[in-house]
Amino acid sequence: MQVRKVDQALSDPGAGGWDAVAGEKVALSKVPIDAQPTEYIRVKWAGLPYGETADADVKAAHDGTNVFVRVEWAKDSEPNAEFHDASAVMLASGDSSAANTMGSTDAPVQLWLWQDGLDGVRNLDGTGPGAFANRGTNGISAQASSADGRWAVVFSGPTADAQASGKLGVAIWNGSNEERAGIGATSDWVALEFD
Amino acid sequence: MTTSVIHPDSGPMRQIAMVFDLNKCMGCQACSVGCKVLWTQEAGEEHEWWMTVNTQPGRGTPRDWETMGGGLKEGHPVPGHQPERAEFGGGWEFNYDEVFYGGKGNKVHLQPLDKGDGTTEWGMNWDEDQGGGEYPNAYYFYLPRLCNHCTRPVCAEACPTGAMYKRREDGIVLRNEDTCQGFRFCMEACPYKKIYFNYARNVAQHCIMCFPRLEEGVAPVCARQCPGRLAFVGYLDDEDGPIHKLVNEWGVAIPLHAEYGTGPNIFYVPPLAPYRLNDDFSIDEETPRIPPEYLESLFGPKVHTALGKIRSELDKVRGGGTSEILETLIVYRWLDLFGPFTADPADLQRPPESVPVTLGTPSGA
Ligand code: SF4
Ligand code: SF4
Repeated sequence: MQVRKVDQALSDPGAGGWDAVAGEKVALSKVPIDAQPTEYIRVKWAGLPYGETADADVKAAHDGTNVFVRVEWAKDSEPNAEFHDASAVMLASGDSSAANTMGSTDAPVQLWLWQDGLDGVRNLDGTGPGAFANRGTNGISAQASSADGRWAVVFSGPTADAQASGKLGVAIWNGSNEERAGIGATSDWVALEFD
Repeated sequence: MTTSVIHPDSGPMRQIAMVFDLNKCMGCQACSVGCKVLWTQEAGEEHEWWMTVNTQPGRGTPRDWETMGGGLKEGHPVPGHQPERAEFGGGWEFNYDEVFYGGKGNKVHLQPLDKGDGTTEWGMNWDEDQGGGEYPNAYYFYLPRLCNHCTRPVCAEACPTGAMYKRREDGIVLRNEDTCQGFRFCMEACPYKKIYFNYARNVAQHCIMCFPRLEEGVAPVCARQCPGRLAFVGYLDDEDGPIHKLVNEWGVAIPLHAEYGTGPNIFYVPPLAPYRLNDDFSIDEETPRIPPEYLESLFGPKVHTALGKIRSELDKVRGGGTSEILETLIVYRWLDLFGPFTADPADLQRPPESVPVTLGTPSGA
């Protein structure tokens, strides 16, 4: 995916500048049940549907300092009082990091995680599905908007982090279905080419 | 992929336990309020009661918690329901402005504000004193509940982030709130439904057994605040202590819902209740007022031997004998309840940063 060089920050998902940025439809699939890190989660979710968000429209741009990743997807219309829609951009820490399992103990991934209703964005180390540890939120933010049954979230963070990764992955959690942690949908890696 | 939830993974394993004598609990809520005042007064904790006291029979807190699943069957986790905010209820805001300042003091009564989220339709002690049975043989008793600091903490085992762990030195089950991501598998997995969710901070929270007090030799606040002298605290393996005797030697203190499979470390002396009355109001000495099958549904079949033992001890004393069991349960000296945790919190040296500040006009303002 081309990471378009832009002159001004595109941290607003509604910013007109996004019209000129070409994107990709990124396919998502459910995080495998066997990869879930605890027996409880495997037992609970084995027979239940999850991770059914089929794809997300992803665009990326950078202004030299910050990278802006815009993730848009169709949301479930049923609200849930307890759990909320969420999305993450994943960056690799090395060649062997796996995006579809949100990293592994040997090869973690970095996640920038936005969740509806929570302020700010979480900057996490992922060592497996939902096996997250905080890294501190330095320099990372997210802005979200929702219209016509779709979420659009722009993640902003240091361009250097995305360049070091060279690729990105996406995760989507459907709050209506009580999805969180490793119970969600993830993409494979998408290679990044910086302008 | 299962990693140990015991922390640190070496050294001897000890377990703090408590015994509550339900024959002495009067449902005064001093324990729950003491806990609330000490631990859950911050934003997001309004509905949290790490210590609860409910009238039995009743639906309890969260509402109908015994139907929500979780726990273990043949060593494997059972799927559970995450108790929802409305099922806990409580944490209300009241219409103080309207009643006291809105000029409607004669027309409107003080009441919780209904936010349409169902939280005003239940609360920590909603069905207080309803109980069961029919006059003149109505019956009820109170059941104080806190986290059982289980020998197999399924809550911690369910967590994908490793935020929860069981301390080896005292068996207390804790959560690192800096690591917790608010995923709430712990709340589903806990069969006792003793974990709350702090929606303001996106973390789960539960009873910490007052570990900062225990570390200073002070008993948990619920035990010290109780005016009924009925909450014992100590190490389960202390063979000279009352807990070991009540639980392991005499078998008069038993766990709640042992069938949930997690090895709870809070034990209860089951309630005897007064005799039933016949239709002509004479005393029926044969039929227990609290149906034994109801007690068995809570405490399992061991409840019958526990109650039988207490009754025979009572007979012994009525016949002029003495009973170490009853002497222990009477608790002549208050501090006998607290095992090695008899320090008075008022005597502790507070660290300088926690000395209460005097409220006033901020200097420079
Ligand atoms: S009572 Fe629940 S929260 Fe407490 S240790 Fe047992 S399973 Fe965990
Ligand atoms: S303080 Fe003691 S008597 Fe009062 S409700 Fe709690 S356990 Fe029962």
